[in-house]
Amino acid sequence: MSNNQKKRNFQIEAFKHRVVVDPKYADKTWQILERAIHQIYNQDASGLSFEELYRNAYNMVLHKFGEKLYTGFIATMTGHLKEKAKLIEAAQGGAFLEELNKKWNEHNKALEMIRDILMYMDRTYIESSKKPHVHPMGLSLWRDNVVHSPKIHTRLLNTLLDLVHRERTGEVIDRGLVRNVTKMFMDLGESVYQDDFEKPFLEASSEFYKVESQEFIESCDCGDYLKKAEKRLTEEIDRVGHYLDAKSEDKITSVVEREMIANHMQRLVHMENSGLVNMLLNDKYEDLGRMYNLFRRVTNGLATVRDVMTSHLREMGKQLVTDPEKSKDPVEFVQRLLDERDKYDKIISTAFGNDKTFQNASNSSFEYFINLNARSPEFISLFVDDKLRKGLKGIADVDVEVILDKVMMLFRYLQEKDVFEKYYKQHLAKRLLSGKTVSDDAEKSLIVKLKTECGYQFTSKLEGMFTDMKTSEDTMRGFYGSHPELSEGPTLIVQVLTTGSWPTQPAVPCNLPAEVSVLCEKFRSYYLGTHTGRRLSWQTNMGTADIKAVFGKGQKHELNVSTFQMCVLMLFNNSDRLSYKEIEQATEIPAPDLKRCLQSLACVKGKNVIKKEPMSKDIGEDDLFVVNDKFASKFYKVKIGTVVAQKETEPEKQETRQRVEEDRKPQIEAAIVRIMKSRKILDHNNIIAEVTKQLQPRFLANPTEIKKRIESLIERDFLERDNTDRKLYRYLA
Amino acid sequence: MHKLSRSNRDKLQQFVAITGASDKNALQALKASDWQLEAAFDVFYSQPQPRSNGDMRRLEELYNRYKDPYSDMILAEGISVLCSDLQVEPQDIVTLVLSWHMNAATACEFSKEEFFGGLQALGVDSIGKLQEKLSFMRSELKDEQKFHEIYNFAFGWAKEKGQKSLALDTAIGMWQLLFAEREWPLVNHWCDFLQDHHNKAISKDTWAQLLEFARTVDPALSNYDAEGAWPYLIDEFVEYLYDKSVVEK
Repeated sequence: MSNNQKKRNFQIEAFKHRVVVDPKYADKTWQILERAIHQIYNQDASGLSFEELYRNAYNMVLHKFGEKLYTGFIATMTGHLKEKAKLIEAAQGGAFLEELNKKWNEHNKALEMIRDILMYMDRTYIESSKKPHVHPMGLSLWRDNVVHSPKIHTRLLNTLLDLVHRERTGEVIDRGLVRNVTKMFMDLGESVYQDDFEKPFLEASSEFYKVESQEFIESCDCGDYLKKAEKRLTEEIDRVGHYLDAKSEDKITSVVEREMIANHMQRLVHMENSGLVNMLLNDKYEDLGRMYNLFRRVTNGLATVRDVMTSHLREMGKQLVTDPEKSKDPVEFVQRLLDERDKYDKIISTAFGNDKTFQNASNSSFEYFINLNARSPEFISLFVDDKLRKGLKGIADVDVEVILDKVMMLFRYLQEKDVFEKYYKQHLAKRLLSGKTVSDDAEKSLIVKLKTECGYQFTSKLEGMFTDMKTSEDTMRGFYGSHPELSEGPTLIVQVLTTGSWPTQPAVPCNLPAEVSVLCEKFRSYYLGTHTGRRLSWQTNMGTADIKAVFGKGQKHELNVSTFQMCVLMLFNNSDRLSYKEIEQATEIPAPDLKRCLQSLACVKGKNVIKKEPMSKDIGEDDLFVVNDKFASKFYKVKIGTVVAQKETEPEKQETRQRVEEDRKPQIEAAIVRIMKSRKILDHNNIIAEVTKQLQPRFLANPTEIKKRIESLIERDFLERDNTDRKLYRYLA
Repeated sequence: MHKLSRSNRDKLQQFVAITGASDKNALQALKASDWQLEAAFDVFYSQPQPRSNGDMRRLEELYNRYKDPYSDMILAEGISVLCSDLQVEPQDIVTLVLSWHMNAATACEFSKEEFFGGLQALGVDSIGKLQEKLSFMRSELKDEQKFHEIYNFAFGWAKEKGQKSLALDTAIGMWQLLFAEREWPLVNHWCDFLQDHHNKAISKDTWAQLLEFARTVDPALSNYDAEGAWPYLIDEFVEYLYDKSVVEK
């Protein structure tokens, strides 16, 4: 270099001569590495220098001997693995799995080291040649040479399955060991896990549970079987958690569900003496809950349970309502219904998790069977009547509401709500007039509930009845206020009832005793004085009277009687003995009512204030009556009146039903006219459907009756048939 | 004279034969109704007819022969004379057809207008001519459309004046009569059924619908549609047929 070029840049130039690598270089380097691999596999790696080996590998790749390195690595590893395989195959019994596990761990460690050494190759030669990387390659080699080795493959699988089986039959196994093996499968690839282990495992499990479920079902009752099934399910989930891959959980639970539950569903549900029906009858909440939880896992499981529950409920309900024994006492009848309702409510909320589909099934069943008995509306009204008369005495307001709400629930199930209305009106009238209601608030509360459910029209008349009672009180005050001279003598209390609101009764003739009729006339003139244009008619069949009586031995009693009874008894003030005919003539009460009245006065033990000759049960036209001087009662006040609401007799029932049917006719016609007015033209089937829908809140309309009404409307020129299509009707304005 | 097509010429001839109108009037009526015969009749009859005096006189004479001495109507007596003149029984169905032509309001009496109108509609003015028309009138019963009209007319005609419905006995009689002309295999069962079960008068709708039923539903009830909006009475009749095993369900 000359001094003038002091500031020149320092340049490096390539070798001017070619560098030739020593051809033996590759072999020599490979041998080093090969030896190292051997040592690693022989657990003898401590003396190796990582840096040196890495450099050797690096150099080989650099000098374009990557392929030789790669193939050599594969060949060497393969050789080792084949040896390992032989060792594993030689292992006996339990040691087999342990040996496999041990060798696997060793292989992994070795592989890691080797990969580190060959890292450069991994990142360059293998990258570019698109061959499998070292680590995956190592795994594949293990898989091909060990796991899939013919002498190991099946044996491995069978060993594992055998262990699982043993654990299922109660033995304790080495879970950690199995865990490692399944993890090994997963490491080798998900498809290896699935093909070499999971699929056969699922098949074997399926077989196992098929057999076991068959055994159980022959020997256990439903509750026990379900417990066992639940236990097995929990176990399997546990098993997966401990030594299987998480993805197997759904698959194995499906197997258990299928074998233990789905395949035996019908048999379980219908099992005699222990199946679903038995559980329902005996309120076995735990068993039911278990069944619900297990069955919801399988297709149609819950549908099966629900269907059996529904048909049982319907059958049982049908028997309940059609059993003549049970219909003897209406209050008990309704109480039974309420109890059943409570029972199923509890079952559905406790065991079925308030499942809405079950709730609906229960509701539709109740609706079905309650309406099978045509007297249900009457009975529910009688139940309410009983509660409002005495049943609610002493019960807190909040509990009263609960009872009324439950009654409303039953009311909603009724298809013939108009029948209920009729009876309710009758019973309410009796309650109001006899002053026998326990709580005004409860009465009003129920009316409000009915109004909310059915609308204003349903309750307007009922409310009218209450108003009449109130107004009458005021009227009585006014009457006695303006007639102070009447404070001596018998006290008259009048309830003035507006005809439209109260149940219609034909006025019954009756001759009132003089003292009473004078008072009545005074009241009539008073009332009509202030309310011109009205007409009053005395309803003698609905009144009561309190009479003081003195008997032969001086016994004094106050008798509470009906108006008819009063008329009869007052006659004995003027005669000691009276024949039936004389009584009939004097009172002018119609024969059937008179007979009933006399019976209650003469033939009832403890209330026989008059004596009858002869002493027969029935009233004959030739009977004679005297005062019963020997009458005795430990109470001063004796009640003989018969104004309590009772279950109707057959003829009364027929009459009420007829009246209901008659009332329905105008309602149907009104509905038809309403619909046709807005639609102008409509075909037959649609009219029927619309009318039925409109009337459904009140009653179930009969299509035949609707047809008859249509014909009646045609005759009265409200509607006509279309000329061309006879099924079409037209509204005539 | 315009040239007439062959069919129109036929129509013209028919028109004249039936109404007895002059060619000129006939042509007028037919043209006014676009050569529709039925419509032409309407047109013709709604016009005040310039009648030849001779026609009117003869009709007057005829009317006077039958009219009741105390009222300006032909009553039952007169009708039986008319029937014997025509040599038909009073219960012969042809009297119904005649009444239909007259548009008689009620059976067993004809008003003057009805009598005149009917005979003019038939284009007759003497007993002889009327007698000749008898077979034509009978044939009208075989025409589907005309039978339908006559049947429906019969309801209003046969019922009591001022009543809305037709008394059962009368209805049964009418049915027997009408269905003798147009066969309906179930007519006797229908009448038996009514007498056993119904015992009430027949409404107009039921009367009209029965013809539909007889026309459209076959006697074996194979095409009876329970949802077919038939009157309730007919539904009951079907039940009755099943019960009595007249028809297999």
